[in-house]
Amino acid sequence: MQLKFKVPIFDIKNLSFIVRGQTILQHITFQIFHGEYIAIIGPNGGGKTTLIRMLLGLEKPTSGEIRIFGKRLKDFKEWHKIGYVPQRASHVDANFPATVEDIVKMGRIAKRNLFAVMSQEDKAMVHDAMVKMDILDLKDKMVGTLSGGQRQRVMIARALASSPEILILDEPNTGVDVKSQQRFYKLLAKLNKEEGITILFITHDIGVIADDIGRLFTINQKATICNNPKEVLSCEEMSELYGIEAHLIHNHRHEH
Amino acid sequence: MLEMFEYEFMQRAFIAGIFIAILASLSGTFIVLRRYSLISETLAHSALVGVAVGLVAGYNPLWMAVIVAIASAWLIEYLRSSFALYSDAILAILLSGSLAVAVIIVSLGGAFNNSLFSYLFGSILSVSDSDVMTIIIFGSLSLLFLLLFSKELYFIAYDEEVAKTSGVKVKFLNFLLVTVVAIIIALSIRVVGSLLIGALMVIPTVAALQYRVGFRATMLISLFFALFSVVFGMMLSYYFSLPSGATIVLAVITIFIISLFINNK
Repeated sequence: MQLKFKVPIFDIKNLSFIVRGQTILQHITFQIFHGEYIAIIGPNGGGKTTLIRMLLGLEKPTSGEIRIFGKRLKDFKEWHKIGYVPQRASHVDANFPATVEDIVKMGRIAKRNLFAVMSQEDKAMVHDAMVKMDILDLKDKMVGTLSGGQRQRVMIARALASSPEILILDEPNTGVDVKSQQRFYKLLAKLNKEEGITILFITHDIGVIADDIGRLFTINQKATICNNPKEVLSCEEMSELYGIEAHLIHNHRHEH
Repeated sequence: MLEMFEYEFMQRAFIAGIFIAILASLSGTFIVLRRYSLISETLAHSALVGVAVGLVAGYNPLWMAVIVAIASAWLIEYLRSSFALYSDAILAILLSGSLAVAVIIVSLGGAFNNSLFSYLFGSILSVSDSDVMTIIIFGSLSLLFLLLFSKELYFIAYDEEVAKTSGVKVKFLNFLLVTVVAIIIALSIRVVGSLLIGALMVIPTVAALQYRVGFRATMLISLFFALFSVVFGMMLSYYFSLPSGATIVLAVITIFIISLFINNK
């Protein structure tokens, strides 16, 4: 793996999260570098989403330290460098008054100055993001009328419009058909390889993408980091933590 | 038909009404999209406490309404963020609480009279020069805020957490939005009345949403509906000597019903 910069995008040290006496996450330590392609798997309730929410500053860790681009989370201001696509992204309220273009334009808000209308650069970036996600022909459609797969691409286009260095996606394929899922993984791999965008995403269908990803994090209260996901079954702790899923992966790989 | 504009009170009522239609529909769009429609009802009842204090103690009721409505809006936000309470429950508690306090103040002060009636249901006769000035000053500031931050407010309405992770100052803007809504509601009670202003904030947007168009078009349709209802409602109020709030609300509800039917056939 080629590491372009020495400062990691995320530098997580000894992170714990305890709610009402219940430990959700403990002693999580890892670093994420530029250009990486990382998948997070783990059982439901294992703390995957909580971990991502802490990275984004939406939840406060009970203890531990998060550094983003070398800065402490509370001092970090350049949020446009991070593109976040939440889990519920594909279930937009059908009545919300937004065209595809309205949503993608939101991606430019973080960078705009007060009083500033959309600049030529903003418009170009919005256009570019829609082209990359192949949704330009949908630009005047209402998001409520789109299919799950189309909405998903709109949400990623919104995140891309701010020209992020990292994309963080939480189970992006919930409510999306299989064909769109495959297309989606191809797009992610392309963004990672051709645009150099670091990708971190939560999923449960690891089999489909195991060929592309660089590292695999298994989160179940603790983190198990697997640096070579192609030998995912040999990651001993992982099979222990996640036995059934490991079996599924095994089957998938034979099918391909 | 235009002879009504020969009267100065009608000129004042129209200036105030048009200003309020613009403010109520623009701010109402964000309130409705955030599923926060009830806050307008609660703040309207809080504004009534200000009116009561003004009437009994002899201060300008509109100014007092603005002050009390803002205080109430801040209290709502504080309660929402500091305690594990349902926000609709907070709104319900403050709504009846405010009304109770207003009624007690008015009863003790012996101000149960026509003047109070006009604050409840709106009256085009009662808009004074100083009311128009108050509406223009506070209204312009509110309008400036809504226009400057419309993109951010839209983003927050769409998804508060994603907006936050995109660097939008969500907490600060939410706080400013409820403040501005409080001001707009307090300003509106002269023309629309505190019991009816909620409708003018919420219904034009709900009607506009039926057309299923993008953000800007929804806002413009909502604005047009609000303006039409206020102008038409005030004309009805003038010709039939009815409280203007009631005629305005009936006009906007008619628009809503028509919109609902033509878009859901």
